[in-house]
Amino acid sequence: MPKEPQERNAGAGEARDGEQPLAGFGRYAGPATLIMASLADGTKHGYVLTKDIESFAGVRISPGTLYEALARLESQGLIEAVESDDRRRPYRLTAAGAVALRAHLDAQRRVADVGLRRLAGNWGTA
Amino acid sequence: MSAAGDVPDGRPDRAARPDRTARRAARLVRWYPRAWRARYGEEFTELLLADIRERPRSAARTLDVARGGAVARLAGAGLCGFGVRDAAAPDVGGHVRASLSSLGCCLAVFLAFGAALSSQLTIGWQWSPTASTQAAIATVVTSAMMLALLALGCAAAVPVLCSVAVRAVGSRGRGLAVPSAVLIAATSVLIIGGRHFGNGWPGTGGHHGLVPAGLSAFEWATSLSVSAYWAHPGALAAFPAAELAWMAVSPLALAAAVTAAATLVRRTELPPRLLVFEARLGAVACAAMAVFLGGCSCWVATGGQRSLFHAGLIDVVAVAVMALALAVAQQAARTARLGLRLGPGLGGN
Repeated sequence: MPKEPQERNAGAGEARDGEQPLAGFGRYAGPATLIMASLADGTKHGYVLTKDIESFAGVRISPGTLYEALARLESQGLIEAVESDDRRRPYRLTAAGAVALRAHLDAQRRVADVGLRRLAGNWGTA
Repeated sequence: MSAAGDVPDGRPDRAARPDRTARRAARLVRWYPRAWRARYGEEFTELLLADIRERPRSAARTLDVARGGAVARLAGAGLCGFGVRDAAAPDVGGHVRASLSSLGCCLAVFLAFGAALSSQLTIGWQWSPTASTQAAIATVVTSAMMLALLALGCAAAVPVLCSVAVRAVGSRGRGLAVPSAVLIAATSVLIIGGRHFGNGWPGTGGHHGLVPAGLSAFEWATSLSVSAYWAHPGALAAFPAAELAWMAVSPLALAAAVTAAATLVRRTELPPRLLVFEARLGAVACAAMAVFLGGCSCWVATGGQRSLFHAGLIDVVAVAVMALALAVAQQAARTARLGLRLGPGLGGN
C-alpha cells in the first residue's frame, strides 16, 4: 500500500454525514468501486486496470464502461490522471477517493457481516 | 508508447493487423463527442486496440462503446452523469450550466408547440365559449400556465442576461458577442414578425376573450409553422407568399434564438447562488409544463368538439412532442440538482 495519499483535491467528493460516498454513480457504482480498489495499491492505466480487476474480482469491465466510470470518478475528484509521455495515461486515487472508498467498503462490509451472521444462524456454516 | 498492432500477449492474430485494428478502434472512438475524445481519445484508443487484439470479434464491446458514447453525449448536454472535466480546472458549474441550457431548450420547444395549442383554444373562445368541459379546462389551464411559463422564463433570463452583459462589457466577454447578436436579431425577428402577422389576422375579432385578443393573435402568429397544412401542399400553395415565408422563417428564428441563448449560458460563468436559483426555477417550470400538458391532454384525448375546438392529428403530434420535451426537461433538472448537490464549491443543497 502506498503511504502517499495525495493531498490534492482533499475535500472534493468526501463522504458527507449520512450520505453514500458514491451517490450519483448509479449503475457505475460497481465499476467505480472496483476501479478505486484496484488503484488503492498504485497508479494504473486502462488496460492494466482491466486485467487487475479481472484477476481479483473475476469481472471483465468493457472499455466503454471502464471509461465512463473513470470519467465520473475523475469529475468528482476521487481519482486523478498522472502526467505521462505514454498514450496510455495512468490514474491514481486521490485522498478524497481513499476516504470515499474506505467509507463505501466499510458499508459493504457491514452488509456482508450481517448477511453472513444471519446465514450462519439459520443455515449453518456449510 | 505502444504502436498499433502490438499484441499484449505476443500472439499474432490475422484479425488484428495494425491498420485494420487501428481503423476499428478509430471507428469505435467516433461514438464519443469531440470534447470527450479530446480528453480521453488517445488513452481510450490504446485500450480499445488492446481489447480488439484479445477479442477480435465482440458485439458486446461494440454495444458497450456505443452506449458509452451515447451516455457521454447526453452528459455533454447536461442530461446525465458528469461532463468531461478539465484536468486543470474542475468545472462542475459548467455541467450544471449545460443542464440548464438543455432545460431551456426543452422549455422553448414546449412553448412553441404549446403556443399553437393554446392559441387555437383561446382564439376559439374569442368567438364562442366552448360547450366542452375538457376544452374549457384546457383553455383555462393552458392560458394560466402559458403566462406562468413566460413569467418564469423572464425571471430566469434577466439575471443570466445581466451576467452576460457584465462579462461582455468587461474583459471576460470573449465568445459572447456573436451569440448575443444572434439572440437579439432572432428575438427581434420573432417579435416583429409575430406582431405583424398577428395584427394582420382577423381571426381574433370576437368578443368573448378569455385572454387579450392581441396576445392570442401573437401566440398564433409565432406558432404558425406548427400546422397541419404542411401535409396538404395544395392548400398550402394558396397561402400568401409572405405568410408562407413566415412559416418557414419563424421556426428558424426560434431555433437560432434558443441556440444562441444556450450558447451564452454555457459560455458564461454564473455565480453558484444564481445556478441554484435557476435550477429551482427550472423545477417549477417542469411542474408548470406538466400541468399545461395535463390540460392539453384532457382536451386532445376527447377530440374536443366540432369546429372551433376540434382537436386534430396535429394537436396529437404537438402533445407528443411536448411530452418528450417535458421528459427531457425533467431529466435536465434532475441532473442540474445532482450537480449542485455533489459539485464541490457550488454550495447547492
